[in-house]
Amino acid sequence: MNRHNFRIILHCCLLLIVFTAAVKSEAAGIEFDRSTYSLKRGAVTFQNLCMLCHEMKYLRYQNLLELGFSQKQLETFRKGKNIQETMQSSIAPEVAKLLFGIQPPDLSLMAKARKNGPSYIYNLLTGYHETAGGVIRNQILPDTSMPDVLAYSIETDVQAREQLEKTAREVAVFMEWAADPKADQRRRMGYWVIAYLVFLTFLLYLIKRRVWRRLR
Amino acid sequence: MGQLVKWIDARFPFTKFIKHELTDYPTPRNLSYWWNFGFLAGFVLMLQIISGLFLAMHYKADVALAFDSIEHIMREVNYGWLIRYLHSTGASAFFAVIYIHMARTLYYGSYRAPRELMWWTGQGLLLLLMATAFMGYLLPWGQMSYWGAQVITSLFGATPFIGEQVVIWLRGDFTVGDATLTRFFVLHYLFPFLIVGAVIIHLVALHFVKSSNPSGINLADKDNIPFHPYFTIKDLYGLGIFLIIFCYFVFFQPGTFIEAANNIPANPMQTPEHIVPEWYFLPFYAILRSIPDLLGGVVGMLLSVLIFAAMPYLDRSGIPGGARNRPWYRVMFYVFVIDVLVLGYVGAQASSDLMLNIGRVATLIYFLTFCLLPFISRKEEQWLRKQGLPVEIEELLRYESQQQQKKDDV
Repeated sequence: MNRHNFRIILHCCLLLIVFTAAVKSEAAGIEFDRSTYSLKRGAVTFQNLCMLCHEMKYLRYQNLLELGFSQKQLETFRKGKNIQETMQSSIAPEVAKLLFGIQPPDLSLMAKARKNGPSYIYNLLTGYHETAGGVIRNQILPDTSMPDVLAYSIETDVQAREQLEKTAREVAVFMEWAADPKADQRRRMGYWVIAYLVFLTFLLYLIKRRVWRRLR
Repeated sequence: MGQLVKWIDARFPFTKFIKHELTDYPTPRNLSYWWNFGFLAGFVLMLQIISGLFLAMHYKADVALAFDSIEHIMREVNYGWLIRYLHSTGASAFFAVIYIHMARTLYYGSYRAPRELMWWTGQGLLLLLMATAFMGYLLPWGQMSYWGAQVITSLFGATPFIGEQVVIWLRGDFTVGDATLTRFFVLHYLFPFLIVGAVIIHLVALHFVKSSNPSGINLADKDNIPFHPYFTIKDLYGLGIFLIIFCYFVFFQPGTFIEAANNIPANPMQTPEHIVPEWYFLPFYAILRSIPDLLGGVVGMLLSVLIFAAMPYLDRSGIPGGARNRPWYRVMFYVFVIDVLVLGYVGAQASSDLMLNIGRVATLIYFLTFCLLPFISRKEEQWLRKQGLPVEIEELLRYESQQQQKKDDV
């Protein structure tokens, strides 16, 4: 291996390390369980709580099949709606607007629309606390009209609070999945693509060396 | 097959063209891997055109549909996510490759005679690329798309006397809206073909003056080797390395180059906290912000891009080999590169007094580099000659004049 090749490879490695380090450090802090079990539980909580008011207009009920829900389980979710329909909130948007003053935002992309989306969602859901005046406020979004759906602020039992935090993490992980349902497929494909390219590049390197040897 | 080629050759210089431009095309044998980036830029251009073509089959240029159609591509079109991430990552890759290509030209002094026209067509290509990227960024119709376009188009309001009219003319409306989106889409589709045309001119010029090389002199015929197979394989090997890095981003970190706020549909009623352009515009954006007057800022920003065109005249040194043989110029080169990185960093930060001051100093250094170059390059050459040129450079110069002599005798 001559000096040039070595240098190029060294630079590439450095770049990759820097970027992965940057990404890792950004995601540090909260440990998320991204197992199917956790995702499915998040989906159920999302369906029961969040979707009272919020919708996910880019996700269809049939997409949930990819998480491992059975057709039968989906039936309880969609309540007679077609499986190809997008996930609508239980209350009509106009009613929600009357109740909260604003229309609750669509959540399909929320995990991508904030920096460190899942952490943000987790912090928001567990950010409720009771102020001295007896008002429940959120420390991430003080002006939010969203109520403390997990009832985290009034829960005093330590174990129950931990359980709620786990639920919040599950919801966050589900929303991360919903924001980019193809991410798994993308990464799986990525390993093959990179492996193929590394092999191909290695062959090209050998050919290059062989062709250039003629010049000596 | 042979019969067919013969038939074509009688009517069109097919074999002659391949021979002249590829198989026999003489290329300096001492080119380093820094000379790979022109080829890579051509590859990314093709990648962008092809992926863009497939995106356009599913995209809707309509303010009510644009954002949804992107999500449709991401979720419901077969491998739509792949096509879109190739395209969005490709834009960043294009600039990365082009900036390295430019840095190489600056380092080795490849812009010098007789390659000024290559440098200037390259400059034109850079401007076209910037325009294309800027217009393409509006198409997803996210918050950053919308407000970025709003800010940049409003800069044209600095045009004296007719500023307001120019802005309305560009947007097709009083604010960025449906008319703007549609025309940006149309132009974003058109510009790549102008770029292809300009690339052809760039290549014709290249094949006329031939590649520059690290030694900085015109080499003798015996130092040239045919492009094929030596450089086809070298370029392909470089492409392999490039693709590994590129695909790492496409498959594992595709969100790196997409602002979080661009996943929120454009909302004209709500300005994002912090509007930042794409990373490849940041240094120029920092220059714009560091000049207090709007017109001055716009002029400064334009100048910061266009000033590169003056390089063949600003650099008055006759020492071959670029920064390798020119210690002062080498220092200037590195100062300039670091300065651009600082400007890029400043451009990404929310404006504060500290950032503003750093930005101003960096802007000053940016332009001073160009302004001082004529004097420094002249002085540097005198100093080098007074010191006595290193033996290698003397040899290079003698060698080149000999070659020139031979050519003149013929």
